[in-house]
Amino acid sequence: MQGGRGMWKIIAMAIVIAGSGVTSALADATPISKESRVYIVWPRNGQAVSGGKLWVRMGLKNAGVAPAGVEKVNTGHHHLIVDAPLPPLNQEIPADKNHLHFGAGQTEVHLELPPGTHTLQLLFADHQHVPHNPPVYSEKITIVVP
Amino acid sequence: MRTAFFISAIALAALTAMPAVGSGAEAGQTPAAKNAYLYIGWPNDGEVIRTHRFRVWFGLRNAGVAPAGVEKANTGHHHLIIDAPLPPFDQEIPADKNYLHFGAGQSEAIIELAPGKHTLQLLMGDHQHIPHNPPIYSRKITIEVK
Ligand SMILES: [Cu+2]
Repeated sequence: MQGGRGMWKIIAMAIVIAGSGVTSALADATPISKESRVYIVWPRNGQAVSGGKLWVRMGLKNAGVAPAGVEKVNTGHHHLIVDAPLPPLNQEIPADKNHLHFGAGQTEVHLELPPGTHTLQLLFADHQHVPHNPPVYSEKITIVVP
Repeated sequence: MRTAFFISAIALAALTAMPAVGSGAEAGQTPAAKNAYLYIGWPNDGEVIRTHRFRVWFGLRNAGVAPAGVEKANTGHHHLIIDAPLPPFDQEIPADKNYLHFGAGQSEAIIELAPGKHTLQLLMGDHQHIPHNPPIYSRKITIEVK
C-alpha cells in the first residue's frame, strides 16, 4: 500500500520532469513571429495529379526564407513531409524520402509520385533544421495519383 | 553611298550585339543559378482584381531565396517592379514605390494598388541587391484593379 503510493509519486514526478523537459526544449527553439504561416499554394487538397509529376509551391506568410545554416531573425527553410506524420517538433527534422529539406532556400520542388493516395505537409525549421517556437507547419493535404 | 551602307551595317551589327552586351558587361558579378526560372505565380497575366489589396506569389525554380546580406551560391532575394521598366542590371536595384525589395527572404507580398491597369515584374537581386549574371527576371504581366 505504502510502496504503491511511493511508486505513484515517482511516476508523477517522472511525468513532471518529462513535461518540463519538452517545454524547455520548445522554449529553447528559435523564436518566430506568431503570425507566421506556411501553406501549400499548389496542389490543392484533394487534387488528382495525372502522371504523378508536379511542382509543389510552398507558401510562407509573415516570415522569410533563409538557407540552412543561416541564422537570421524570423527566417527558416521549408521541409516537405510526404506520406508521413509530423516528426517530433523539439529536434532536428529527419532527412529521408519522407522528409525533404530545402536547405538551399527553395520555395518549389518537383515531385514524382507513384499511383495512389499521398499526403503532403510543410514544416518550417530554423538554421539547424529544428522547428521554431511556436512550430510553423501547414495543414496536411491529400492528393491522388490515378 | 558605300559609306552610308557601311554605317548602317555597323548600326545593324551594334543592334545585334546589344543583347550580348545586356547580359554580359551590364550585369552584376554574382553568377545566376543554372536554369533559374522566375515567374509571378499569382496573379495571372490579364487578371482582373476586384480588391485593392491582394497577394502576389513569387515563383522561383532551380534557385533559392536568401535574405539580403547573405552571400550564398544560387540564391538571391525577390524584387517586385510595379509600373516601371527593368532597372540597369549592373547596379543596385532602386528602392522606392516602384521597386519593392524583399530582403527578409519573403516569397510573397500583399500589395495595394489604385484602380486601373498596372504592370508587375519580378527581378532577383544578389546579397547586395544587384541583379545576377545573367539577370533573373520574370515576364512582365499586366493586371487590372477594378
Ligand atoms: Cu532542414
